[in-house]
Amino acid sequence: MKKRSRLVIVLAVILLCGYFLYPTIKWYGFVPQDAKELATGSNVQIKEYARGQASRDLRSLKDLVAQDSKAALPAQYSYLKDSAKENYKAMKRPVPKTWTLEAVFGGFYNEQNLFDTIESYYRTSLLELKTLGNKALQLGLDLRGGMSILLEADTASYEAKKGGSASSAEIAEAIRQDIEILEKRIDQFGVSEPVIRLQGSDQILIEVPGAADPERVNSFLRGKGSLVFKMVDTALTAELDAYYKANPSEVYTDTGALKQPSFLPAGKIAAGYYVSDAYGIDELESYVVIEEEVGLDGIHLESATTGTDGITGRPVVNFQLDSLGGDIFYKLTSTHVGDTMAVVMDGKVKAMATINEGIRNSVQISGFNAEEASDLAIVLRTAALPIELIVSSQQAVGATLGEDAVSAGVKAIAIGLALVVILMFAYYHVSGLVADLALLFNLFIMISVLSAFNFTLTLTSVAGLILTLGMAVDTNVIIFERIKEERRLGKSDIASIKAGFDKAFWTVMDANITTIIAALVLSQLGSSSVKGFANTLAIGIVSSVFTALFVSHLIFDATVAHREGKKLHISWRKN
Amino acid sequence: MLKNDIPVIKLRWYAWALAVVLLLAGAVTLGVFGGFNLGVDFESGLSQRIQIAPVGLEVTYSGNKDAVLAISGSALSLEFRGEEGVSATSFRSQAYPTAKDLAAALNAVPEVTATAVDGSLNTADLLSGYGFPATLGETPTKLNFQGAGTSTIEDVRSALASLGNVKVQTVGSSENQTFQVRLGIKDGANQASMEEEVKNALASFFGQGNVVVLQSDYIGPKFSATLLSSSILAVVVAMALILLYVWIRFRFAYAVSSLIALVHDILMMLTIISILRLEFSSTTIAALLTIIGYSLNNTIVIFDRVRENVELNKSTALAKQIDLSVTQSVSRTIMSAVTTLVAILPLAVFASGDIQLFAINMMFGILFGTFSSNFLAPSMLYWISKAQKKQTAVVEAK
Repeated sequence: MKKRSRLVIVLAVILLCGYFLYPTIKWYGFVPQDAKELATGSNVQIKEYARGQASRDLRSLKDLVAQDSKAALPAQYSYLKDSAKENYKAMKRPVPKTWTLEAVFGGFYNEQNLFDTIESYYRTSLLELKTLGNKALQLGLDLRGGMSILLEADTASYEAKKGGSASSAEIAEAIRQDIEILEKRIDQFGVSEPVIRLQGSDQILIEVPGAADPERVNSFLRGKGSLVFKMVDTALTAELDAYYKANPSEVYTDTGALKQPSFLPAGKIAAGYYVSDAYGIDELESYVVIEEEVGLDGIHLESATTGTDGITGRPVVNFQLDSLGGDIFYKLTSTHVGDTMAVVMDGKVKAMATINEGIRNSVQISGFNAEEASDLAIVLRTAALPIELIVSSQQAVGATLGEDAVSAGVKAIAIGLALVVILMFAYYHVSGLVADLALLFNLFIMISVLSAFNFTLTLTSVAGLILTLGMAVDTNVIIFERIKEERRLGKSDIASIKAGFDKAFWTVMDANITTIIAALVLSQLGSSSVKGFANTLAIGIVSSVFTALFVSHLIFDATVAHREGKKLHISWRKN
Repeated sequence: MLKNDIPVIKLRWYAWALAVVLLLAGAVTLGVFGGFNLGVDFESGLSQRIQIAPVGLEVTYSGNKDAVLAISGSALSLEFRGEEGVSATSFRSQAYPTAKDLAAALNAVPEVTATAVDGSLNTADLLSGYGFPATLGETPTKLNFQGAGTSTIEDVRSALASLGNVKVQTVGSSENQTFQVRLGIKDGANQASMEEEVKNALASFFGQGNVVVLQSDYIGPKFSATLLSSSILAVVVAMALILLYVWIRFRFAYAVSSLIALVHDILMMLTIISILRLEFSSTTIAALLTIIGYSLNNTIVIFDRVRENVELNKSTALAKQIDLSVTQSVSRTIMSAVTTLVAILPLAVFASGDIQLFAINMMFGILFGTFSSNFLAPSMLYWISKAQKKQTAVVEAK
């Protein structure tokens, strides 16, 4: 291959890796700590924060305009200009040249409009940060800590369900099963290397790395039985709507739950119909009267997959019912053609659809956002928890290795790396620097690929990293020793480099292929921490072979080979 | 460049004798100690959440009723249960903002004596830990307040250093002064005795009573037996596939020899872990895997050279070829081992806890791996090849 095309490939790899690494660098290097904490909060917290900030800003803006309406807009609010400009255009009014406070206020339809604009500014910036944080390389529980969630077994509801008291051995067995199911579920949720263990006799401790979103945690705790299909009473729904409109104070109880109006006959209940808003939070849309009796329980769902609706493009969940569920569902749907059915999740109506014909086995429902749909599918795929779990505490925890140990370890790794760099130069002269360059390039590729795949970096994966860095140095050592040998045989520099790389090629390949076999098997079969090690190792092997056989080779070819008067420096000795 | 070849084949009996002696020593120590020094990852243990908080008040009661002191929110409540019924008084932080104010108010109650240890602490920062609600008596009941402490995770770790490998984690932000400690329950101890030991160790470091235990629980192991067995299965499958690859690319003798060298490395690591009583934790598994990768790499590099030499010069005796190949690779072997050791050494010296443990395991592993790739694997190759040749000779003679 021509040197130029090889250089193009190397540059392309650098660019691609830089692109993958960008979120990680930005997140750890340029996002202030308080912004990180805000962005890693739950969507509800972000919503509250954005609203709080917006009302504060609006108040101070109003104060400012009352003081001096001709004053210039303070720089911190300059983001309002763009929206105001658009509004002026929409209102078909001239866009002001200087943005005084008055001019900015004039650019909004009303106070609510201004508030919404400020809120959306805060919301978008935080939600963008949140996405960025999710793309950045995560550090594991052992290195940076995460969130610890203590769950308590709900023995009372278990006994109620069972209809009698349960022995402690029985409960212990149920909790053990819970742990197994949770392990499967959390794995499927893509949470890397969580720790799940029994605490005390009836508690389960879960630790997940990074700032785990509390909503995600809740979603994998949800059980299978929480999804039910119920019939909607359309006439009563209209009546309820009118009633609530006439008596707004009668909608909620003091605790914020929906008040059940007295005119509803027995067997009918009022429920809220919720749609996800811009934060992904359920917002009450309207009220529906549904049958108290369950039409079809979620227990009968056999498998669930997610997809997108061909026409609307919205996420849908496809269910397969078991044979009993199919019978029930067919009976229900065929007798209620033309009626409306509601999908109720955790007591909230998530979707409603009109029944066109009798349906037996496969059901498609929409009304979820993409994340909810896939979470629901996962929960439905894994079994229901034998004993319900209640979150008893949720708290951020530091690194399990200890922050002090981690920082000491980082220092030690840096010292070690520096020593290797010096040693290679001391032994191989300028060629050692080529190996050092390849080593650093290797580190760069590995970290960017790890961030691209959203892996969590733990101590075991750092072990994999160290091993591959060692192997990257080793590959260069094998090649250099071979080049030296060839030179001792009396070959020219150019010929020794060629022979050295050629003869070392299969040695390097065989050594690395055997190791990558081990890495791939471990990454498929190993437990989660072993997987972390194996993944890093597999990535590292590919990148170290690339850096040694491709990048180092290119540097040697470019600097020594085909160039008169350039001498190969591969040792300090004159030979 | 060495003048003479390293007599690898000549030294083969010594090399294997050394390996066997060490392995036997490992087996003996393992028997003597009754297993590995398992870390808290593999054992059940104790998990405690503690908060370092100064004692602000000491309260005693000399009467004969049941006096119970409880803390709810930011209020202190004192309840007397006697023959004449129950009487309760609540001291709110709004009315009694500091520990000094609380002490004065409590002293006004008959038969109750309160001494302010640090009167400036805020009532709003009162903590309710293990042992609350507390029954008052002659021995002083200590009330802790969340103070502006500056204790760090290092302090907690050094306080508990005498109890073996303790895992310490910070909980929440640093001003909370709250830490999670985990330690294994060793033989001959139970949960209660471990709790007592932790309490004493913390008291002697931070001062009597200055540590509040917020929660204390028995915890199950992080690694279940199924996790461990699935890891072992993965290693076995990986080894089988490596055998297959080396068999195809090289020859059967090479494959078996490199695998035997790998098995040696793993056993040797376990031996040294057993002899030195190093803790066997999840990091040990990581170190073992790393060494498998490292040693395999080493062995293949040497075997590659053997194969090359054998093809170049078919007439030379195998023993000589092996000696030559090991010697030709020796500068690479040394350089590679030295660079890795140099990278690991600072970790073994400066790091602490699991990271240090990993580094120590690795240093031994590199030495064993280098030894097995240069001496054990080549001599095994020699033996197996000789046996195969004899067999073919026998077959041909027939």
